[in-house]
Amino acid sequence: MSTTETGNSSTTESAVSGLDYEETQLTLAASGASRSELERKRGFSEGVDLSLETKDFLSGSSDEAPISGAGEPSAAKAQVVGWPPVRSFRRNVLKSCTYVKVAVDGTPYLRKVDLEAHAGYQQLLTALEEMFSCFTARNYPNERLVDPVNGTEYVPTYEDKDGDWMLIGDVPWKVRSSSNFTGNIKGFGSHVEAINKEELEGAISTIHGKHHSTENNLDVCRFMQTASLMKSSEAVDLAPRTPTGCITAR
Amino acid sequence: MTYFPEEVVEHIVDFLGSHGDRNAVSTVCKAWYQVDRLSRRSVFVGNCYAIRPERVVTRFPEMKSLTVKGKPHFADFNLVPYDWGGFAQPWIEAAARGCPGLEELRLKRMVVTDDDLELLARSFPNFKSLVLVSCEGFSTDGLAAIATYCRGLRELDLQENEVEDHGRQWLSCFPDSCTSLVSLNFACLKGEVNASALERLVARCPNLKGLKLNHSISVESLNKILARAPHLVDLGTGSFTIDNRSETYHRLINAFFKCKSLRSLSGFWDASPFCLQAVYPICTNLTVLNLSYAPAIQSADLTKLIGLCFKLQKLWVLDCIGDKGLVVVASTCKELQELRVFPSDIYGTGITAVTEEGLVAISSGCPNLNSLLYFCYQMTNSALTTVAKNCPHFTRFRLCILEPEKPDPVTNQPLDEGFGAIVRSCKNLRRLSVSGLLTDQVFLYIGMYAEHLEMLSIAFAGDSDKGMVYVLNGCKNLRKLEIRDCPFGDAALLKDVAKYETMRSLWMSSCDVTLGGCKALAAKMPRLNVEIINENDGTSESKENLSDLQKVEKMYFYRTVAGPRNDAPDFVWTL
Repeated sequence: MSTTETGNSSTTESAVSGLDYEETQLTLAASGASRSELERKRGFSEGVDLSLETKDFLSGSSDEAPISGAGEPSAAKAQVVGWPPVRSFRRNVLKSCTYVKVAVDGTPYLRKVDLEAHAGYQQLLTALEEMFSCFTARNYPNERLVDPVNGTEYVPTYEDKDGDWMLIGDVPWKVRSSSNFTGNIKGFGSHVEAINKEELEGAISTIHGKHHSTENNLDVCRFMQTASLMKSSEAVDLAPRTPTGCITAR
Repeated sequence: MTYFPEEVVEHIVDFLGSHGDRNAVSTVCKAWYQVDRLSRRSVFVGNCYAIRPERVVTRFPEMKSLTVKGKPHFADFNLVPYDWGGFAQPWIEAAARGCPGLEELRLKRMVVTDDDLELLARSFPNFKSLVLVSCEGFSTDGLAAIATYCRGLRELDLQENEVEDHGRQWLSCFPDSCTSLVSLNFACLKGEVNASALERLVARCPNLKGLKLNHSISVESLNKILARAPHLVDLGTGSFTIDNRSETYHRLINAFFKCKSLRSLSGFWDASPFCLQAVYPICTNLTVLNLSYAPAIQSADLTKLIGLCFKLQKLWVLDCIGDKGLVVVASTCKELQELRVFPSDIYGTGITAVTEEGLVAISSGCPNLNSLLYFCYQMTNSALTTVAKNCPHFTRFRLCILEPEKPDPVTNQPLDEGFGAIVRSCKNLRRLSVSGLLTDQVFLYIGMYAEHLEMLSIAFAGDSDKGMVYVLNGCKNLRKLEIRDCPFGDAALLKDVAKYETMRSLWMSSCDVTLGGCKALAAKMPRLNVEIINENDGTSESKENLSDLQKVEKMYFYRTVAGPRNDAPDFVWTL
């Protein structure tokens, strides 16, 4: 079972000792799109591209607000007014699809963040900082799936329609989002509000999943429909679980 | 013809359907003017400020149907401030005084209050049909008044309005004696609606053909409704989320199976993929399908459904359908006439699964296509040329490439040639929206070839004043021109001002026209209302201080015989 498939990181070769923050660039981008591609796409309005240096955040100097968008100070205007030309009624109906995928070089899977849930860029960046410093399901830090045999921990991930591995739990279950699961996770009734360890284990045992052995034969990865479990130890290899200065996930 | 008695002329004129033709008749001579005015039943007012309501009512005392439009089209995209105008009140008041026989009122992009609706409900004893499109300013209390007082109401059609929710009891206001409903559409309501009152209403209206529900109506309720009204022709579902193992789901399948008359389906609020299967039994009869409010349904499920709809004439979908999905549409829906592909990821990165490939596939599979609205990631000249060749019958062609000023990705050229091919080939084109990287050349083509063009929408296009001049010189039938973010300035604006009296309106925002240019226009053309919308500062002191050289952020002018309007807010300055 391979690690991240973002295509823009060579994670297995990177240093094991820790995230190289100097080189880590946090970009809001569709997965698979390299940064230079993204900049070309946004040629008409330089204010739309948003790239940040994470190191400044993690060292706590948040009031420097290093939003180095390639352009004007009014880079906060990420949308042109009235574009695309879609009626307000339709915009409001599709509003809940404001989740965007966030990729961080050197991490094994992507996260989803709701742009609407944050009042401004500062709040968004704080949330992103939290997301990418600790590699457990954000809302359920105490719900760890542990293999009783050898103590390895798992985090639930799934592969979405773009082929990216996403952490389960970022998008509320009921949200009608266009790019979540490629198939339904059977065994979950539609009334399930949260995924916790018990439900996860229960679901795994009731659905028809595959048992998939990894190379060393001691670890077992279980698939749930389109979701699979990745060993969190693999994630740990790539980045420290709790780097200094990190805010633990709520 | 002047020797014929009036009744004969009237009889002949009655055969004329279109407003344009009847307007022409009325200008022939006084006698014909009289015949037309007394026999006109249906009146269309394209701009509520072009004429005073009293004049319309006085001229056409026997009118039965009145249509009025208010705000400019770009108001749909938040470019017009909230209280710009477009009030329904004077129209309803005038009609109440002078035209008590009114039966039908259709309003688009207007401000309608609860008081207006109550006046309407109480003033016209024969009132049958109310259609409100993209309106705002009213609440469910206004709907309660309509339900209470309009005896014999046949149609209440609310399309994409902004309605304040004051509770669910409005529907219960339809009296038990109300059995005349033919069409009821409350899909745009945000709040809860009394489901059991709805079920009873449906049960007692045997002529009900159209019913569009909002998201508050559950599938359980839909089942009961369909059981009572299996003769529905046009259905907008309510919430469409159910567990596919449940009894409700099986009842739904059975209910749909019995709806032999169903031709049009929409709604699908919150729809999840497997719920679509309930609809399979009636797919083969569908001519209209609107899945554009169901973002959770991906291409595979969309295509499984659409693959059964081989009689489809009108399809509205989200771009999740992807190019591959559009290929399925092309191979299945041979009778397709109208296609709309909306963006699903409005706040995202603008990357969609729909490109020029999907459109080319559609054009080769659906030669009867005449109306298109297509949001896509990219477009090529070659694709547009192919589409133009395959589909020469376009009357409406609106293409929106999500990223402004995007060139042909294969050749890196502007899309002038592609759109040129469209206007050359589609001789009946009436409405056009262009996008992507465009130079003045495309406007030369439009001016040269788009003889029947009536409405043109331009954004982020053109190089110089020449572009706009080409259009104004060339398009003889142009009625509405709306432009945003283009380098067109005073020279273009003032080149041929007489043209503007042949047009309904012109909108220019974020262009290069200056205050001085607008003033010059207003001075030359007294029968145009030239409005400057300045949201930042509407005070009169600041108006004095503004230099004529200053660029105007938003200008909207329209021809009128009513003079400057008296209901303009502070931030609207009529020159």
